[in-house]
Formats: sequence, structure tokens, C-alpha cells
Amino acid sequence: MIGQFLRLSARGVADLRLHPFAQLLTLVAVAMVTLLTGLILLGLHTVNIELLKSRGQVEFQVYWKTDADAETVVKDWDTIRAMEHLKDFKTFTPDNALTELASTLGETGDFSWLADNNPLPYSGLVSFHVPPEAQDQGWAAGLLTQIKSLPGVDKVHYTPFQADLAQSWRTISHMVIWPVLGFLALIVSLVVHNTIKLSLMTRLDEVEILSLVGARPGYIRWPLLTGGFVQGVLGSGLGIGLLAIVHSFIAEALNFPPFLLEIRFLPPEYLLALAGAVTLVSVLSSWVAVK
Amino acid sequence: MVTVERLSYNFGTYWALKDVSFSLKKGEFLFLTGHSGAGKTTLLRLLYGALPVTRGRASVAGYQLNNLRKRDIPQLRRKVGVVFQDFKILSDRTVFDNVAMALEVRGMPRQHLERRVRAIIRAMGLETKSYSICERLSGGEQQRVAIARSMVANPELILADEPTGNLDVDLTMHLMEIFQQFHTYGTSVIMATHSKEVLECVPGARILHLQDGRIVDEASGAEPEPEKEEPASLGEVGL
Repeated sequence: MIGQFLRLSARGVADLRLHPFAQLLTLVAVAMVTLLTGLILLGLHTVNIELLKSRGQVEFQVYWKTDADAETVVKDWDTIRAMEHLKDFKTFTPDNALTELASTLGETGDFSWLADNNPLPYSGLVSFHVPPEAQDQGWAAGLLTQIKSLPGVDKVHYTPFQADLAQSWRTISHMVIWPVLGFLALIVSLVVHNTIKLSLMTRLDEVEILSLVGARPGYIRWPLLTGGFVQGVLGSGLGIGLLAIVHSFIAEALNFPPFLLEIRFLPPEYLLALAGAVTLVSVLSSWVAVK
Repeated sequence: MVTVERLSYNFGTYWALKDVSFSLKKGEFLFLTGHSGAGKTTLLRLLYGALPVTRGRASVAGYQLNNLRKRDIPQLRRKVGVVFQDFKILSDRTVFDNVAMALEVRGMPRQHLERRVRAIIRAMGLETKSYSICERLSGGEQQRVAIARSMVANPELILADEPTGNLDVDLTMHLMEIFQQFHTYGTSVIMATHSKEVLECVPGARILHLQDGRIVDEASGAEPEPEKEEPASLGEVGL
């Protein structure tokens, strides 16, 4: 049984030489589609990494009323510290804020003349971890309302950029990227399907004779499916190899201001998924071709 | 071995077979004769599952063809050897490869397979051509390869569709001797032919005459030779 399986598989590989030119073209086409898909994934991966740096976090700059007394402010701070998913909370008294401002400005930042008449209010920089389940639900807006409603709070600056960008990115991924990947998979399937069909047509005599002597469909199809599998494995391998070469040229292409984007190569699990998907599509299209 | 009852088959509006009934016992030799288009090939194709039985009833080697499932067709064909006028062998493969094909699909162990293939090739007188590419063989040799392939798995029934149609008289006689040899070992044979010489080759064979898809006459030749025991026959050809 195993011997027969190996023999049929070997025949499938050997049959690839029946139409060397067509097989080579298919191999190149599969490799090119893999490369194209890999480049798209490379772009996605790079953007994803950049977004991940800030995606799970939302920040609020909170300013208390200038006339708020210290007791009210401290109570508000305690309320904030008790909030769920709090990651960090930096607080500034008016004096702290003035000192911080002065140190930021360096030598020109001498505000000692304001010490007795400090115009700055109590303030704070609050950051929260955004729970994954809350990313789609306007969770940050709810927090904003909650912080604004604290008795001493005057205004809150909230930049929903990161959270919204992450959400937009997810929408783009779902609406654009998957159809594009599906389209590329369709190209692979058509190319491999046609090549396997060609192999099948040139072997019609053999298929007919095998059928006449009682070969099961699996026995007849297996060598052709093996051909599709080999095309998928070799094509995806070649494509990933080309992707690595292209990556070595473009890795630092965007690593300058204002982008400062380092294009990182796909992690092994992505590469395996890419090769697996291309191979699977190749085998499936071969199966359809010989069915 | 074969039972056919009121079997009909149509290609669109054309009825290739109409109400054909006959039966064939184990070890019998049956000729189907008639002009081109009489329905001989259609009948044979129905019997090895190449066409579906939709009208009438038919059974071959224990398989009811009326409700034959697709997955049972390979099993049926392992019990039936088929020989064609145009040989249907792979001309770019060796004699050995062509014959071995029928055993490879059964998953027979290589050592056993080689022994059987060599034996049948020897029985066909092709032992010096075992590793010759088939396209370099003569028509008669190619047909012997086809017969060897159909016989190597020791089928219960041989269906032969004009197997001598492309051969000259001498080769025809030689091939008929081979068919007769296997027939005497107990293999049932249904052979389609329109050659009078072929019909006279097998003593005791039944002859069904088909015309426009119907059986119009049935005849039988001289008394058959006594059937040999199957185990002895297999030994005689080395199988």
C-alpha cells in the first residue's frame, strides 16, 4: 500500500517532465503570484507593527478648572486611579507643570517670575489599555464622558487617532485585502488547473486504459494531484525566495524621516501560511481539473 | 456469468440496442456478429460498465449493472478483461509495463507481479520482447500485448471487440488460438466480430447475430472441447 502510494507519487513528479515548458511557465506564474502576495503581506505586516505600537492604548490629557481646590482634584485623581484598564496616570500640580514646562524649554524656560502667580491648572496624562473586545464599541468615547464628568475637571483632550486608525485598518483589511488575496488565489488556481488539465489531456489514453483494467479513481488521480502539489510547493518556495531577495533591497527604503518605517520580513508562521495556502490552492485546483 | 434481459440503449433518438436478452454460462464462448452499427460494441460497452444500463437488466460476474455504483465499476473491471480492435496499449511503454499495469492497479506485491507478468508474456510468445517499446512491435504483437494485459489478472470473462479487425489472416488465426487456449482453461469469452473465419475458429461457440440493435438469430458451432480444471490451467501458463 505504502509502496504503491510512493510509486504513484514518484510517477506524478516524473510526469512533470512531460510538458517542461508549460510546467516551467506555471512554476513561474505561481512563484510570481506568491511574490506579489508576499509583498502585499509584507506591507500589511509593516503597517500592522507600527499600529501595534499604539493600537492597544488610548490617552487623555485632563485639565482641571483653575479655581479647583486641591482636595477636589486629589479626589478626582483617586477616582481616575480606580478606573479599569488604567495603564499610567501622570499628575501635575500647577507647580510641577511649570517646572516641567521650564525644563522642556531648557535655558530659555525661566518662569520663576510666574511662581507667585502661576496660571497653569492641575493637569494629568491618563493612558488606558484598550481591551480587545472594546475596540469596536466606542469604548474610548465612554471613558471621555466619564472623565469629563468628574467635578473638578475643566476640559479633556482626547486624540482618538490610534484607536480609530486601528479600527480603520481592520476595516480596510477586511474589505480590500481579503478580496485581493482571494483574487490572487484565483489566479494560482486557474494557472495550475490549466496545466494539470493539459497533463491530463495528454494522458487520456493512459487514463482510459487504467480505468479499463480496474484502477480506482484515486489511483488515476493521485499522480496528477502530486503534480499540482509539487507545483505549489516549488512555486511558493521560489516565490518566498524572491520575496527575501526583494526584501533585502527595500528593507530600509522607508527608514528615513518622516516615515522612519523599517520594513521587516514576514515571520515564519506567515511564510508557512503563505506557502501552505498556495500549495493548498494548487492541490485543490488540480483536484478540480482531474475530477 | 452474464445475464442480459430486455436490454435497450439509446443515443438520443437512435436506439443502438433493442430488447436484447441472452445469458452466458461460465466457460462459454459467445460470438456477437452483425454489420457495423448492429449494436455489438454498445452491448460490450454496457457489459463492462462504460455505458449505464438504463433499460432492461444485466448482470456480469455477480454485479448487477442496473444499479451499479461508480465506485463498483473498478471492481467489475477487475473481473472482466477487455480487448479492442485498436489494442489500446501505451505505445511509449514496454511490453512488460503494459501488461503489469493490470496488476499494479490491484496493488499486487512487486515480486508476485513480475512472476505473473513474465509467465503471461511467455505464454503469448513475447518473452524476447518483454522490454521492447510497444510502438516498435507489429500489429499482431501489439494485440498479443493487449490480450496478455486482459488475461494476466485471470479474469472470469473476456470481452473482445473485433480483436482481429486490424490483422491479416495468419495473425488472426494465431490470436484465435490464444483466445481458445484461455477459453479451454475456463475463461468465458464474448467476442464481437463480423469475420466468418473467426466465427469458424471456435468449436462449440454460440453465435448471436445482431441487426439494428436486435438479436435476429442464434446459432452454435460444433460440440465444445471438455473444459479443463482452472487450477491446472493456471499452472500450465505459469500463473
